[in-house]
Parts: sequence; C-alpha cells; structure tokens
Amino acid sequence: MKSVGIDIGGTFTDLVAWDPEKRIFFHAKSLTSYGDFFVSARHCLEETGISLDRVDVVRHGTTQVINAFVQRSGARVALVTTRGFRDVLEIGRANRPIAFQLRYDRNPPLVDRPLRFEITERIDAQGIIVRPVELGELNALVDRIRLSGAQSVAVSFLNSYRNPSHELQVTAQLRSLLPDLFVTCGVELTREWFEYERSSTAAANAYVGPLMADYLDAFDRGLRTGGFTGRFDLMASNGGVLTPEAGRAQPLALVESGPIGGCIAASAFAAALDLGDVIAFDMGGTTAKCALVQSGQFEVQSTYYIGGYEHGFPVRMPILDIVEVGAGGGSIAAVDDLGRMTVGPRSAGSEPGPAAFGKGGLESTVTDANLWLGRIGGGAFLGGRFTLDEGAACAALVRNVIEPLGMAKSDCDAAASGVLRIANTVMAGAIKEITGDRGHDARKFVLLAFGGGGPLHAAELARELNIPLAVIPPEPGNFSALGMLMAQPRIDNAQSFFHELNASAMPLVCALLEAIEVETRSKLQQEHPGETVSTSRFMEMRYRGQKQSTRVAADGALDAGSLRIAFETEYKRRYSHADSVHPVEIVGVRLVARLVSTKEGLLGVASPRPDAVPVVTEREVYLEGKGRMTTSVYRRDSLPFGFARSGPAVIEEFGATTMIGPDDRFEIGRLGEIRIHCGAPTT
Amino acid sequence: MNVRPMPEGSDGKDRITSEVIRQRLIAIPNIVDRNITRTAFSPIVAEYKDYAVGIVDIKGRLISQCKGGITIFVANALGTAVLDGIETYGIERIKQGDILITNHAGTMGQHLNNVVMYTPVFVPEKPELPVAFMAVVMHWVDVGGAIVGSAVSNTTTEIWQEGLQLRSVKLHDAGRPIEEMYRVIEYNTRFPRMVLGDLNAQLAGCLQGRDMMVQVYADYGIEAVETAVSLLWDQSEAATRRAIRSIANGVYRASSFLDDDGIRKGAPIPIDISVIVEDERIVIDFSNIAPQMRGPLNAGRNGGAVAAARVACKYLLTPNEPANEGAFRPLDIVIPDGKFLSARPDAAMGGSGSMLPTVIDTIFAALAPAAPDRVAAAHHGTYGIHMFFGRDPETGELFKQSDTATGGWGANCDRDGNGPFRSLVHADTHGVPVEMQEAMNPFRIDSVALRCDSGGAGKYRGGPGIEKIYTPLTQMQINVSFERTQCPPWGLQGGQPGQVGWVEIHRDSHVIGPLAKATEDIRLNDRVRVLTGGGGGFGNPATRDPHSVARDIAFGYVSAKAGREIYGVELTSAGDVDEIATSRVRASFTDWTKASPSVQNSHNQFTREEPQA
Repeated sequence: MKSVGIDIGGTFTDLVAWDPEKRIFFHAKSLTSYGDFFVSARHCLEETGISLDRVDVVRHGTTQVINAFVQRSGARVALVTTRGFRDVLEIGRANRPIAFQLRYDRNPPLVDRPLRFEITERIDAQGIIVRPVELGELNALVDRIRLSGAQSVAVSFLNSYRNPSHELQVTAQLRSLLPDLFVTCGVELTREWFEYERSSTAAANAYVGPLMADYLDAFDRGLRTGGFTGRFDLMASNGGVLTPEAGRAQPLALVESGPIGGCIAASAFAAALDLGDVIAFDMGGTTAKCALVQSGQFEVQSTYYIGGYEHGFPVRMPILDIVEVGAGGGSIAAVDDLGRMTVGPRSAGSEPGPAAFGKGGLESTVTDANLWLGRIGGGAFLGGRFTLDEGAACAALVRNVIEPLGMAKSDCDAAASGVLRIANTVMAGAIKEITGDRGHDARKFVLLAFGGGGPLHAAELARELNIPLAVIPPEPGNFSALGMLMAQPRIDNAQSFFHELNASAMPLVCALLEAIEVETRSKLQQEHPGETVSTSRFMEMRYRGQKQSTRVAADGALDAGSLRIAFETEYKRRYSHADSVHPVEIVGVRLVARLVSTKEGLLGVASPRPDAVPVVTEREVYLEGKGRMTTSVYRRDSLPFGFARSGPAVIEEFGATTMIGPDDRFEIGRLGEIRIHCGAPTT
Repeated sequence: MNVRPMPEGSDGKDRITSEVIRQRLIAIPNIVDRNITRTAFSPIVAEYKDYAVGIVDIKGRLISQCKGGITIFVANALGTAVLDGIETYGIERIKQGDILITNHAGTMGQHLNNVVMYTPVFVPEKPELPVAFMAVVMHWVDVGGAIVGSAVSNTTTEIWQEGLQLRSVKLHDAGRPIEEMYRVIEYNTRFPRMVLGDLNAQLAGCLQGRDMMVQVYADYGIEAVETAVSLLWDQSEAATRRAIRSIANGVYRASSFLDDDGIRKGAPIPIDISVIVEDERIVIDFSNIAPQMRGPLNAGRNGGAVAAARVACKYLLTPNEPANEGAFRPLDIVIPDGKFLSARPDAAMGGSGSMLPTVIDTIFAALAPAAPDRVAAAHHGTYGIHMFFGRDPETGELFKQSDTATGGWGANCDRDGNGPFRSLVHADTHGVPVEMQEAMNPFRIDSVALRCDSGGAGKYRGGPGIEKIYTPLTQMQINVSFERTQCPPWGLQGGQPGQVGWVEIHRDSHVIGPLAKATEDIRLNDRVRVLTGGGGGFGNPATRDPHSVARDIAFGYVSAKAGREIYGVELTSAGDVDEIATSRVRASFTDWTKASPSVQNSHNQFTREEPQA
C-alpha cells in the first residue's frame, strides 16, 4: 500500500487510499469522533482493511483549526508587544464593514487586555534601533505571564517587518524561560507590514498552538501504534504540505486545510486533460466553494479573515484564494417576514438533515427541491443506502415556501424550481466574485464541478455564466480527498519591501529575492532531502498612493522598464484601464518554492471500460422553462469512453448525480469525466 | 398583521424572479465598490473609503447602494446629481457613453470635494431613453480653494474659497473623452496625478456597473426588472413602516449644541430637533436649529437635513435592510431655508459632514424615551481631524498625513457601548497603520492606547476613546478640527457622559491646548497628544453588575477610584467584588447623582422633553 489521504471534517471523516501496484482506490467514511480524533481515522482504516505498516505516506487534512476559532476553544494566550502598543489588537483598524448598525461589533480579540503585556524596545520605520530591548524587564514579564495562567505566548513588535532582531531575540528568550509554553511571533509567520495584521496573526497562531500540538501528538501516536513507519504530511492552506514539526510551529497554516485538496486535484485533472484554466467548484452540504486554477496554479491571498470580513479578524498567511457561500444541499429555503425568499446560509446539516431524510427535519432544503423535481432519484441516493421521502420534501416546500408566498398548493414544481434558481444565483455570485471581481472573464474558464452537489448544478451555473464547458470528474464526492494524495510540499515566503520602481531598486530587489530563495530552498530541502526544488518569484507593485498591490511574475532577469510594462499589462487586464505616467512603487516580494512533482498516475484509474454497456432507465424530471418531461437516467459506470447524447439526461453514481439540461450535450471523456457542452442560458 | 406587499396580479413565480433580480441589483454596487478600493490612488478613497456606488432610476430614485463607504451618501447624493443633470440637459440629450459629473453646492449641499460621476444605462429593448444610471460619488483629494485638501479649512466664509464648482458637465460625450474638461480638472487641483487616478477608478466603476446592469436587463427584460425594483422599494418601505409602528405616537424633542463655527470662537451653535411619530410616518423637524453660519460648518438641504434625517432613520428603523428609495418613503423632513443644515448655495460648506454626528445623536436622544431599545447614548461624535503636514527635511517634498478620531460609541439599553470606531457617518473606513504612517512621514507614534474612564459610566458603560502620542522628527504643522468638546457625549436614562476629545502639544514644560479647531506649528522636541472621546453610558451606574465593574477595573477600562466613587463597587485585595461593602456603599447612594462631584457635568446642556400626547 502506498498512500492514504485522511480528511477529518466537522461531521464526517473521509479516507482515500491508493495502491499503485494493484492500481486500486479504497474509500471509506465515518462519523468524526470528538475527543480522540484518531478513532474515526482508525474506523475508516478498518473499513477498508488497510494495514498501516504497509503505508508509505499519510496525508492529512483537518478542520480542527478553523473549528477552534469558530467555537473559541483555543488556548489562553498572552501577547507581548512594544511598549505603548498592547491595545493595537483590540482597536484594530476601527472600521465598521456594516454601515447602519448601532450595535455593530467585531468578534472580541483573542487575547484579553490583562493578558497583553508590553516591553520597552523600539525600532523605527527604517529598521534602525531607537531603543534596545530592556532585557531587565524580562524576568518580571515571565512572572506575570506565569501568573496570568497563559498556555501560550505571541510576540509582536512594531516595525519588526523591517528589522526582526528584537522580536526574535525576545521570542528566543521567552522560549527558554517558559519551556513548557507554546511561544510564537509575528515575523516567523509573516514578514509583511501592518502591526495589527501581524499581531493578529501571531495571536491566532498562539491560540491554536497547544491544541494542535496535542492533536498532532495523538494522531501521530495513533499512526505509529498501528505500525506506521512512513511519512506523515499535513495539508497546508497554500496547497502544499507540511511536516508535523512545521504544523506544530505554524498550526495557523492549517486553517483551510480541508478545501485545498479539491483544488490540487482540479489542477492535476486540468493538466491531464489539457483543459486550460478552470474554476474548481465544490458544492457540499452546507456551503459551496470556488477557486481558480490557472496554468496549473492557484492564487493565494495575502490577508484572510477568520470569522469573515464583516466581524472577523485578519491573518496574514498564504491561504488559498477561495470564495465560499452558504449554499449547499442542506441549505434551508425560507421566506422572511417581508415576503422575500432566501436560500441558506442556514443549513439543516446532517442532523436533522433535509426533510426528505426523514430524520426529523421539517424545513425545506435544496436537496428537497432537487428530489421533488426528480433531479435526484429517491432510491439512488448514496447508491441506494438511503431512501428519500418525496412526500416529506413536498410538505416542507408547502410549509416553507408555498404558504408564505401565497402560492397555490399545486405549485410545488414552481416553488422547488424557485429554490434552485435562488441557490444557483447565490452560487453564480460566488463564481462571479472569484472571476469578474478579480479581473477574469468567466467565459474563458472550464467549470470543474465536484463535491456531493456540484454535478447537479454545474450545467445550470455554466449556462448562467456563459461558460461553454462544464466537466464532472469521476468520483466527484471523493475528489478533495484524492487531491490530498497529489499534494506537493510548498513554501510561500512574502516580504514587505518599499521602493519606487526604478533602476536603483533592482539590485536591492535581486539581493532580497536571492536571500529569500536561499533560505526557502534550504528549508524545503532539509525537510525533503534528495528532492528537486523549483521556485517562482513575484513582485507586489502598485501605483503610488494605492492601498492594494497587484502581483506580477518576476522570474528571469529584472529591469525596471519591463517590470513597469508587466505591471501595466496585468493592471489593465484586471481593471480595464492603466496609467502610464503615475509613479509605480514596489511594496513586496514573494517567493514560492515547491518540490518538482513526480506525478502519481492517480487520474487514469477510473477510466471507462471501452466495452461497457450503457444502463439506462427513465423517469419524469422537471426542467426549467419546460416543465416535467420523461428523461433518460444513466448509470455512470456503465457509460463507455466516447458515449455522447443530447440532454436532457440524468447520470447517477454513488454519492453524486449529474444533471444535463435540455439544450446541453454531454460526452464521456477518456479519464471517465463527463463533459457537458452547455446550450444558451434559459433565463 | 399584514405588511407583506403583494403587487396586483403577481404570483409566486414572479416573486421568485424578482428575488433573483433583487440579489443581482444589490450585488452590482458592492462589486464595483471593491474594485474602486483596489484601484484608487489616494488614501482617502482607498483606505478611508470616502465614496459610494449606486444605481438610480431615471427619476433619480435610489435602487441600490453599496454596503460600506460613508453613510452620508445614502441621502441620495447620487439621485440628486442625476436629477440636476437631467434638468440641465434634458433626458433626450443624454446619450449612450456620456459621463457626467457634478459637485454643485447649491444642489448637492456638500463640500466641493464630493464629486458625483454617472453614466446612463441603455438597453436595446428601448434604445431611445436610458433605463437607469450607474453613479459613483467620490471625495476628490483636492479641488483647489484656500487650503491644501480644499474642505479642511476652519475659517472659510464663502463657497468660492473652497474650490472649483462643476455643475452637471459632461466629461465624456457619447463615449468620447472631452479633453478640455480633463484639463480644467488637472489645473484646478494641487494633486493632479492623484485626482486623475481616482477619477479613472471612478470612471471604470461607472462603466463596469453599467455593463452589469445591461446584462441584468438583457437577461430578464425591462418589465421584469421594473417589477422587481418596485417590489424591492415596497418591501423596504414596509420594513420602515413596521419599525415606525413599534414606536408610540408622539412629539419627541431633544437639544444639544456644537462648540462654535470656527470663526466666532466659543459661541455655541444650538441644535433643537423635534421628531413626530404618527402611526407609520415619521417627521423630523429641524426648524429650531441655528441659522446658517459664517464659517464652514454648513451644508445644503440635501447634504445636511436630508442626510442627517436619513442616516438617523436607517440606524434606528431598518439597520439590516439594504438602502434604497423605499426605505425613506415614510420619512418627511421639515426645515426652512438658511439654517446650517439648509444653507444657501453661497455658504462655506467645507465641514458639511462634520456637524452630522451630533445632529444624528440628537435625533436618537429625542426618540430615546419612546424607543429605548433602538437608540444608543451619544458617541464621541466628531470627525476629529488631526492632519500633520510640512516638508520632508531630506527630500524637500510636501507630506500630509490626515487622520480622524476613533472614539467610543454610546451604550444601548442592554449592552455596553462599542468601539473605538470613527463617527457614525463613517463606516468601513480603515485606520492607517502606524507602520505605514511612520514609513511615509517624519514622525514616530509612541503609543496608541485605550483611555481609562473615558467611556461614560452607566448600568451599561460607554465605549472607550483612545490616546495617541506623536513625536515629530522635524518641524511641521498640525491642523486640528474637533467638535463636541463643550457638549460631551451624553448618557441616557441616568447614564453619564463620556469624556471629550482634544489635541495638545507638550513643549518644554508647558502644554499648548486643549486644541479643538486650530492650526499650530510643531517643533522638534515637542510631543503631540491626541485624545478621543468615549461614548455615553446607559442607565444608573450604581445598578451595573458589580462583577462587570470588577472586570472593567481588571481590564483597565475603569479606574478603581471610579469603580468606588461612581459605580459604588468595592473590591477585595484580590480584585474580586466585596459584596458586603458594595451593598453598603450603593445603599448610601440614595440620590446617586449627588454621590460624587465628578458625576455632575456642568457642560452637559442636553435636555429632553417628554412626548406630548
């Protein structure tokens, strides 16, 4: 046995394993066990009969970090700042993203005021030491931290992005004086400017430090006890993997550890099929997420808000640029007291679940609407493990939608299709945000849809966005876990650097990039001896006065003139205008180092058998704008390569259903993917 | 109770289509908003977000507006501009590809930096007339006038001292840029590259929004979009009406005052406002406020009375609803011409927004007895501008770092005050990081800290203000414009006022200040101290949960002295509540207002009358 991917989510734990000799995949699913998380992983291993002593690599993604923030179940943190600045964490940027709420408030800071300590030191904006660290204050500081009952410590000093020596010095001292506490500091996580964002990042890392150390210890112990002697990798939010040691030092890097797998798989799949740039679209039970994969790469964002932009706090870590909306299979349809219909973000989850599950859920969900319209077969859900109750779905629609809107009882079809239209509008909005909002034209992308719900809605979303081709990979429900097996180690290293873009900046930038490259390469090489490392360089630039920078690739020789042209080209592509006179300044450099991928042949496994005989049945399915029509229903694993038909059609498999509209056409591609060529929008 | 508007002949399917259209109409300004933040050149647009994006119909009615930005623009700055353009040109002379701009004080009633730009939306289905307008109002950094930044003088007395006026002129004619207009703009600002850069972001925003609107009309047709818009207005109107109905009928009144107009120092400007609630309507009557001033604290009717009334109503009645025309249908505004919120077109209007926080606080105060659950005690209530400027000694270049006050907000009837935030006419306005300020200006900031005891005491405490200390690294100047130093942020229902904010300069062994409206030199070894106000408290402080007081003391929000003297809470040596001693002290507060001299506040002229039945 070679590699195993384990994805521990809030509700379910998924496992995918790959045996390269026999070329077989194994899948397993179990309820997540709180307390000892390894228990659910062990259940999955037992279900597949995999013995850990035959496993070379375990890849692990987890939602524990984000859950700790959402549930506020992290450590008691002490923060140490430059004298005069302990309140920066509480004051933040003093903005109110919601304009008219007198009661607007941010989520409270992770560190209460009595646990925020100051030490005398000062470095100026040029990095020059104005006042050395007052080391005499350290012992008293340590006593106060002890007395405060803190379990971990974050250190963040003013202007340390420019000169980190004080911050690193105090961090090292605290590590030796408080050996039993988790100690972290801002510049070890980000070298970018802005004191609030850096302090917030350090505090957030300290908040999950002790908890993740315990979690990783338990997980590691579980693996070793089972006889595992191979490599244990964690899924990082930038699409790379981390060693357990790096995960212990930077647990915050695991904040989007869950969704990253789908993007990695999408990238590999797009490359294998020559799809060009794709939108990776993942619709699950409670949310839908989308991210872009361009030339095999996905963008990482420089500031990520834990708890969302409106109420949350920023962290500066390389985290996948992903847009998430509260629309999934379990999203609840409701009508508010002013007669407006909404779908999500409230979700019925897995308990009690959609009304059709018959587990006590009474509210109408997206899944209920899909079932009522015949788009999901009642008997086929999860391979028939589960029977869905159409009567309950209809009753919920009547209660949640038809009665509040004053529609006729017989209008169940219209109500259900309304639920889907609104859910699709919300999801299309997310795709517009990740494309149009970032200067990309959605029509030039392929929509790659996966997750339990993605294939059901892909064709409609593609039509609404004028995307000509939607692709459904094989095993869409396990696509994310599959991606974990394909991940490659990667380090993103960004650093603030300010200079007007001109010839005199070039030697400085080159020297800085060289230094970062040497540091990053050796770090990656140390973790993965004997492997080949490749790097890409980027520069963050902006017009003088601007807040946000634009990222430009900076590989090869650097000169100011061509960088200016590259900047203007990228700027114009994003915003449709550019200024050729206004001064441009450099605000930072970014280096991405990754191991050169040794592609594991994971994609061809589900290739359709050429001799397969299509199994087709029929049922009535409601089609938007046409009403109920008799529609062919295919069993996916019975469709051979090259099989093609015009819609409408439904294609069913374990864990997912693909819906083909009446104006669409589909064919089965060589890796078993369903290619949907979309017709005109049906609005 | 049936408040659900149901247009004639509509059925559920139309309702669902309308909902889909509504979501797209609300999304468009928010998408444009984000791109403007990314592409603007000046910090006042990119960081301070002094702009707003919206869609208006051809009658100037607001269809939707972006979520963040500055709240004043909800007074339909956009619609007012469009209507003036239609009146000036005639709708038939507004063509596809036209871009119009205006900052005319007589119609907009705001300082001249606020420039509205808009473009018509044409659809093939009805090519002869526009169906809507996409509009962006933006604060241009400088439009000429007596002082750098145009609008920040404390001493202008006429609008012509405050910069260039452009009344409804075309910047593009049928898609063709009018180069002469660009030249006029370029040569009437001190920062042409920055203004033209911002203008490009504004222009791109108008065009992007317009194209997205065209797509909405193409997808659904004019009739369906218009049905959706009227439904959207009706729903917002219904939400407002329902909120008004929850407030007892009556005439509610409150008064306060501004420090002075910047010219006649120390002469207060009275504010006296009546709010009439009658079933589902609300009337805000400004008839008794002070007349137009000589100095720049004036606004025209739209930028003044209408803006204040609409912002106040939005906060009070429908904070969670999107802003549009319908939300304000049940609101009437009464104000004669020539008041400081309905100033004549020639009045100086540099500070056209800076009176509004106090005016809006006063409207809340009037309604406090009738709707205690909707209002808050007063907030720090000032823009609190503190602008450092001068020449860099090394490069000789002009530098300017403008900041505004972030202070405490008032407590509600069931929770402590929030903040520190900027004033309630600001919203998603980001403070500039210390590291950025220090990298760009020759000064250091030595501390940024919450101010102990600055939040007004109460059963629920006001939010805290802050204190900042600056060390100059060269000689420079500071321009200060603070309000509410004489009429502190009041408490409600027995809550105490928050502390006021000011600026002071420490030189050798003496202090210059407190400064409120002034321009001063700063020398090399000076220290500049900027203090911002706290919010007012709500309810009698002697009824505050003693454990909350103990926590406040442990957190340093409240001093042990104030805990004892104002809240009547005694602590043990371990910092826990001494229950017995606390009961004893609190029992002695029979008339708690006399418990301690510090409780009295001689500045607080705020009065309130009970509603007349």
